Amino acid sequence: MKKLLLLLFFCFTINQISAQLLDNLRVGLESNMAWYNDDKRTGPFFDGENNDGDEHVRVNTYLKLDYSFLENFTATVQIESYEPLALLNYSPNFDGTDFGIYSLNYKSDKLEANAGHYYEQFGSGLILRNWEDRQLGLNNALLGGRLKYMPTDFLSITALYGKQRVGFETADSDIFGFNTEIELSNILKFENSSLNLGFSYVGRQEKTDIEDPNFDELTNAFSGRIDFSKGNFYANAEYVTKSDDVFVINGQSVNSFVNPGNALLFNTGFSQKGFGVDATFRRLENMGFFSEREKTGNAFLENNINFTPALTKQHDYLLTNIFVYQAQSLVVFADPQLMEAGEIGGQIDMFYNIKKGTGLGGKYGTKLAFNASYWAGLKGDYDFDNLSYDVDYFGFGDKYFSDVSLEIRKKWNKKMNSIFYYVNQYYNQRTIEDNFSGEQIKTNIVVGETIYKFGRIGQSVRLELQKLWSNSDNHDWVGGTFEYNASPRLSFYVNDIYNSGSDSSTSENHYYNFGGSYNKGTTRFSLNYGRQRAGLVCVGGVCRFVPEATGLSASLLMSF
Amino acid sequence: MKHLFFTLFILSSLYIKSQEIPDINLIDLDGNTISIKALTDSEDIKIFSFWATWCVPCINELDAIADVYEDWQDETNVELIAVSTDDARTKKRVIPLVNGKGWEYQILLDDNQDLKRALNINVLPYVIVVKNGEIIHTRTGYTPGSEEELYEVVKEHSQK
Repeated sequence: MKKLLLLLFFCFTINQISAQLLDNLRVGLESNMAWYNDDKRTGPFFDGENNDGDEHVRVNTYLKLDYSFLENFTATVQIESYEPLALLNYSPNFDGTDFGIYSLNYKSDKLEANAGHYYEQFGSGLILRNWEDRQLGLNNALLGGRLKYMPTDFLSITALYGKQRVGFETADSDIFGFNTEIELSNILKFENSSLNLGFSYVGRQEKTDIEDPNFDELTNAFSGRIDFSKGNFYANAEYVTKSDDVFVINGQSVNSFVNPGNALLFNTGFSQKGFGVDATFRRLENMGFFSEREKTGNAFLENNINFTPALTKQHDYLLTNIFVYQAQSLVVFADPQLMEAGEIGGQIDMFYNIKKGTGLGGKYGTKLAFNASYWAGLKGDYDFDNLSYDVDYFGFGDKYFSDVSLEIRKKWNKKMNSIFYYVNQYYNQRTIEDNFSGEQIKTNIVVGETIYKFGRIGQSVRLELQKLWSNSDNHDWVGGTFEYNASPRLSFYVNDIYNSGSDSSTSENHYYNFGGSYNKGTTRFSLNYGRQRAGLVCVGGVCRFVPEATGLSASLLMSF
Repeated sequence: MKHLFFTLFILSSLYIKSQEIPDINLIDLDGNTISIKALTDSEDIKIFSFWATWCVPCINELDAIADVYEDWQDETNVELIAVSTDDARTKKRVIPLVNGKGWEYQILLDDNQDLKRALNINVLPYVIVVKNGEIIHTRTGYTPGSEEELYEVVKEHSQK
C-alpha cells in the first residue's frame, strides 16, 4: 500500500513538472476480461489450444502510447498483456505481458520514415496488408523500416523491409516491398475525370530445409492497378501474379507440388443522388501468401502477408451470420473428391432511395439496399494421384456459395422506424469448410427490427426478431433481441437464438446473452453474461472461429 | 514488465485533457489526398463520424442526422465528415451507398485504419467534434436520439 501511495505521489509530481511534455501524449487502453463457467448443458470449461481447464479468468489488455515531439516525430509503444492466458481461441503465441508494437516515425509533407513496427497496405491488399484487429486476435505488423516519398502531387513511392510480427516474436523470413502510385490525371491535367495507376512488388525470402527444392527461397509477387472515374461513373482493375510456391498440407511442404498464383479483380459502379450500383468480379488462383510457407491456412490468421477477404455482403444479424462464406484462395487437395485451386465469382450491390411524398416513399422516403453474390471453384482438370491441376481462366466449377439479400428501411414518424431484411443463401459446407461430410445447405432468413423513441433525449427501445429456415433437418433457427436505451450513455440488451433442428452440436441449446454498456466521452464499459455459439466471429471481412463458451465478460475502453 | 505496465497506466491516467487531432492524410471519394489537420484548422465546427457500411448503428446515426443536416448547417455552419473504415472487402460499397442514401456529407476513406488507430478507436460508431484542430467532444456508440445531444454540443461551441 505504501509503495502504491509513493508511486501515485511520484506520478503526480512527474505529472505536474512535465505537463508540458505530456501535452503531446495520446493514450489508448483496452481491456477485455472473461470469466468462463462450466455449463451444465454444453459441458465443463476447457481451453483446447492451451490444454487448460483451470484458468477460468482471462484478461487481454492493450495499452498504446503515442508521443509526438520536435514537430515531425512520433514514437509509439503498445504493451499487450494476456494474463494468466489469452481469451479462448486466441493464438497461444499471445502469452504473458510484453511490448507488442514499438516504432519511431518521421513525417513531413514529402517524406515519411518509420523504424520499428508499421502497418502497410498496397492497393486493395491483394498483395500486402498489415493491420491489427484485437477482436480477431490479429496483428501482422512488419518490424523493420519503411520510407515513403512524395516528390510531386502525382507520384508517391514506398519502399519497405521487415519481418512479420507473430505473437510477441517475428516470422522466420524477410519481407521486401516496393509500391508506387501515379496520379496520371494530375500529369495530363484532366479536369473532370481521374486516372490513377499503381504498381507493387512484394518479396518473401524464407529458407527451406527441403533438399533440391522445386521452388526458389525468394517468392516474388507483382501487382498492377488502374483506377478511373468520371462524374458518376468509376471502374478499377487489379492483376497480381505470384511466382512458384509450394503446396502445404497439415503444415508440411510437398516439394513435388509447386504452382504459381494469380489474382484478377475488376470493379465498376455508377451512382447519382438516390441511386447507386456497384459490381465486382474476382478470380483467385493459389493466392495464399504467408510469411512462413508451412503456416499456410493456419486457423489463427497468423503470418498472412496479403488480404483476400470474402467479397460477399457482411451481415449484421445473429442468424444471418451462421453460414458465412470465407474466400477460397488456397490450393486444397484433401481427397479425390475434394480438390480446389481457388475461386471465381462476383457480387452486385444496389441502393435506391424511394423519394419522400410518393406512394411507396411516404412522408420520409424509403431506403432499399440489394446485394447478390455468387462464388464457385475454378473449372478444370484436377489430378489427385499426380498432384497437378490445369484450370480454365474464366470457367466456373462447383458452386461454393450464393447470397441474395434485400434490406428495406422505413421511417414511420418522428418516433418510430423499422428495418426489414431478407436473405437467401446457398452454402457448400464441404468445400468452404473442407469438411468431407459437409452438406449443401440452402437457407431463407427473415429479420424485422423496430426502434421506438420516447421520453427524454436518447431514450428508446429496439426489438428485433429473426427466423432461419433451411433445407437441412439440422438447422431451423429462431432468435430475437430486445434493447433498452436509457440515455445516450446507458443501454441494456438481451438476446437469444435457438436451433430446433437436429444438428448435434447446437440442437435445442439456447444461446442467450444479456448485458449492458455505459459510455462517457472516450470511456466505454460493458458487461455481458451468456452462452456463445461456436462459430465464426467476423470483423471487416475476416472471420475467425471461436469455440462454444459460457460465462461473464467485461470490456473497458479508454483513451485520452 | 507487469509493474512497468501499471506504472505507465497510472501515470497516463492522471493526465486527462483535450486532444489535438493527429496529422494524418486520408483519401476522398475522388482519390484526392486530404490532410485532416488542414481540414480541421477552422473556427467552424467539424463532426467526424467513424462508420462502416456493415455497421447498422453507424448507418442509423448518419441516416438520422441526414434528416436534419440542412438545418444544422444553416444554423451553425457545422460540417460532418463521415470517415469510412471499410477495408478492401466492403470499401466498394461506400460510394453507391452514400449516393443511394443521398447523404450530403464529405466522405473520407480510412481503409487501413490509420486515423482510427491514431485516435485509439476500438468500437464503431465513434463521433468526435473538432474546433480549431482540438477535439472538444467524443462519443462512442449510438442510441436513437443521441444526435440531438450531439447538436447541443455543436450549438454551444459554434460562433454563428
